[in-house]
Amino acid sequence: MKFLKPLHSTDFTPLRLLDLSYVIVLLPLILILKTPMLVFMFIVGVILFMKKTAAKNLLIIFIFFLGLLAVYLSLYGAFSFRGLSRLKLFLELLVYTLIVVVSMQRLTQKINVYLLLSPILFLALSLFFYHGIYMLIYVIFEIFFLLWMILAHRMEGDLLESFRSSMIMFMYSLPWVVVLFIFFPRISFEHATYGFKGETVQRMGHDGTMYLDSKALLVPSARIVMEVGFNKKVPSSNSLYFRGSTLYIDKIDHWEPLPHYSKRKNKMYYATQGPSIEYKVTLYPTQKHWIYLLDMPSLTVKNATLDRDLISTLKKPIKEPLHYDARSSLSPKFRDLLDSYTHKISSTFSKEQNPKTYIEAQKIKTAFPSEEKRAKALMKFFQAQSLTYSLKPEALDINHTTDSFLFDKRQGYCVHFASSFVTMSRMAGIPSRIVTGYKADISNSVENYLAVKERDAHAWAELYIDEHWVRYESTSTAITITEQAETQEAKEVKEENQLYKSINLYLMYAKYQVETWILYYSNIRQLQLLKYAKQNPRFIFTFSMSILVLIVFTSLVISYFRRPRYSSKSISLLQPLLKSLKNDGYLRKKEETLHQYFLRYMQDHPDKNFIKEIDECYEQISYGDDNSKETLKELKKLVKKSLS
Amino acid sequence: MKSLLKFIQIYKSTKQHATLFSLVVVILLFGLFLEAYMHDFNLVYITLFFIFSLAFSAGPIGVLNLGYLNAKFIRSGRFFAKTEGKIAIDIYNASTTASWSVILHHEDVSIPLTKLKGETSTTLFIPFTPNKRGFFNFKACYLESKYPLSTARLTRTIDEIYKGLAYPQPKGKSLRSFLSEKESHYGEEKEFDGLRQYDGSQKLSHIHWASVAKGELSVKVFTKETQTPNPVFVFQSLEGDKETRLSQLCLWTLECEKLNMPFSIHMPQRVLSSSKESIDEILETLAQY
Repeated sequence: MKFLKPLHSTDFTPLRLLDLSYVIVLLPLILILKTPMLVFMFIVGVILFMKKTAAKNLLIIFIFFLGLLAVYLSLYGAFSFRGLSRLKLFLELLVYTLIVVVSMQRLTQKINVYLLLSPILFLALSLFFYHGIYMLIYVIFEIFFLLWMILAHRMEGDLLESFRSSMIMFMYSLPWVVVLFIFFPRISFEHATYGFKGETVQRMGHDGTMYLDSKALLVPSARIVMEVGFNKKVPSSNSLYFRGSTLYIDKIDHWEPLPHYSKRKNKMYYATQGPSIEYKVTLYPTQKHWIYLLDMPSLTVKNATLDRDLISTLKKPIKEPLHYDARSSLSPKFRDLLDSYTHKISSTFSKEQNPKTYIEAQKIKTAFPSEEKRAKALMKFFQAQSLTYSLKPEALDINHTTDSFLFDKRQGYCVHFASSFVTMSRMAGIPSRIVTGYKADISNSVENYLAVKERDAHAWAELYIDEHWVRYESTSTAITITEQAETQEAKEVKEENQLYKSINLYLMYAKYQVETWILYYSNIRQLQLLKYAKQNPRFIFTFSMSILVLIVFTSLVISYFRRPRYSSKSISLLQPLLKSLKNDGYLRKKEETLHQYFLRYMQDHPDKNFIKEIDECYEQISYGDDNSKETLKELKKLVKKSLS
Repeated sequence: MKSLLKFIQIYKSTKQHATLFSLVVVILLFGLFLEAYMHDFNLVYITLFFIFSLAFSAGPIGVLNLGYLNAKFIRSGRFFAKTEGKIAIDIYNASTTASWSVILHHEDVSIPLTKLKGETSTTLFIPFTPNKRGFFNFKACYLESKYPLSTARLTRTIDEIYKGLAYPQPKGKSLRSFLSEKESHYGEEKEFDGLRQYDGSQKLSHIHWASVAKGELSVKVFTKETQTPNPVFVFQSLEGDKETRLSQLCLWTLECEKLNMPFSIHMPQRVLSSSKESIDEILETLAQY
């Protein structure tokens, strides 16, 4: 425990210990305090620093009025009695009041019960405002730190000894905390999220429209849009399509969904084909209404609406991390009875806009009477066009985008592929539409965890064939990808990055597991766990073993910190021998030196020469200032020999 | 297993009492419980469980802190009725780890024990005033600790009873005045022989004031001084009631001991002589009379 040595010479008075506690517990609250309150705290801090004696009544009264002013200015405009019904405002007021009261009491330099309790109250209040993995770590640290300070107070300000004791206590309580956390009965109240400000950054390349020109929301960043935890292994790559919005109307330079007034009627209408899969999604703030579900959704997410196009939306934009449970049927198609209006919209195209494409589409239409075969022919036609997938394509002729893409530039990314494919399918007589969302990259998965990134934003086509919407991956028709033409040097860099990516992915996986199993552990998950345990006796064994491992681990830490501290290395080395002599009935007398103790033993056991050797060696170390490694090693060897 | 048995043993010998802080912890737990339950906050649950577990584990830790302390009375010093004495008590920490925040209590007296390292001992002195002469039992002494969290007050009664004997309260006329009164009877100065240093036992009339003026306290010595016979204290000839007489005899006994002066006491049915009995035996006889 060499790292703790600096603490050995540090003694703190109870007031200093209390101040240290305040620093730790107020740190998260400082981030939510308004400027006037921060100024107030700064003033109190300066007074405490400058003035070492108890403040006079006049100063305390002044601080009281200054605190009132700070509270008033902090809540100016936001405060009203009606506003108190908003818990966040009420809690802010509580925090401010507590800070003022604590400041006044602290200035008196007298510790009372209220002052002793205040750090824990600050801690409890800060929990209202934060709820994340960082706060989880910080809360555990805060609890440990407060425990440390309480024990330091009990142990005459000895920081080193109190650290050891607090570590022991902390480890004693850890298995209890784990067991209680898992089994303590929960009820299904909604998880409150007030106070936690959502990110204002838009995290996505999807906004319900799809531009074909430079306005396209092409975001090739690695930022996480959502994290998905499946109830089993992550499905295969060709099933990882997360639906966002469905676009029907070609507006030359962009595609739009159906107008609101002509939205298709909602109907409980779920996809049932294909294997079913359940999963949990953590969607980060998008500032939009869409939530993303795997193709094809077979369950409406709580508080969300699932429309006829299997698009799921919320009433309010997502401004804070959203967690939802979902279920989907992994199938590239689902049955839908199309009404005449939607059928008409799905078949609309402009012959004049893309004449070349129209001619080719008509040829295919004539050659293949079956819609399915026609669709396959369209895919083959695209493949034959030698199209290149490029994130930086040359600009298309915006008035003739499909012609320009298929016959002239022949370069583009998913939106150009999907747009052209849908246009040509319509020209070939197949109603079709574009679906935008995310196509997750399987390489961003670990076990049952999948991270979906901004750069996974994608668009694909859905063709209406035989009363089913069928997904067609138009981008797969590209025969070259410009990003693959990489230099050797770039490949090496990529390989290096691969390691970083892999580490990062595992970290994200760990973070996700912590969030799922700790931060968002609920009564549902608790019941699921119990149900699973009932069905799987092996799980009970694994669980019991895990708890046992935890107990063993904490016991090891406890024994490490319970070890007695000795004044010197040589005394520490002698302990096994001293213990053995003690067990033999030779108790060391009070005030008796080790030399005298050994002599006493040797008088009764003159044959035991090793004691003499040990005594000499010890004397050499203690009084001959010979602290060399060799001598200590020799002492250790002699002690070991004496015990054998 | 051995450790567990030891723990059970010391757990049984240690009493736990709730403190005001335990009530505070209960209120705190309740508040956190409401916060956690109403809003489904797992962070609050974690805090709640930590506080609960820490308060829970504080019990055994406190027991281990106090339970290894063994107290033993040390026989030392004399006790006199109505005179404050000190009872010495040796506290030994049989654990390998230090004990913290322990207080030794006896009635209204509290003596804080500083950190007591493992396998070491310390001696504390408890002030005690016997009410009357004779045998007394000193008990109701206990060790107390609120370590570690002040949520419980742990006490460990010291079962050993200190059985002591309080001698009569030493009071009355001083030995010097007794000897002065009996001067003619016990001796007479004849011829000045020189000076010697005053040791408190000589008469005031023998003080050599000229040397006092020089800063030395000397007394005059006479060569033909008749040998002062050993003083004899007769119980029956003393004034006052029985207790007053015993107090007087006790005082003189102590003074004679101090002056290393042989003496004898004539009790109604027994003669106590310092040449035959030790001072303590004489005092014990007086205490039990």
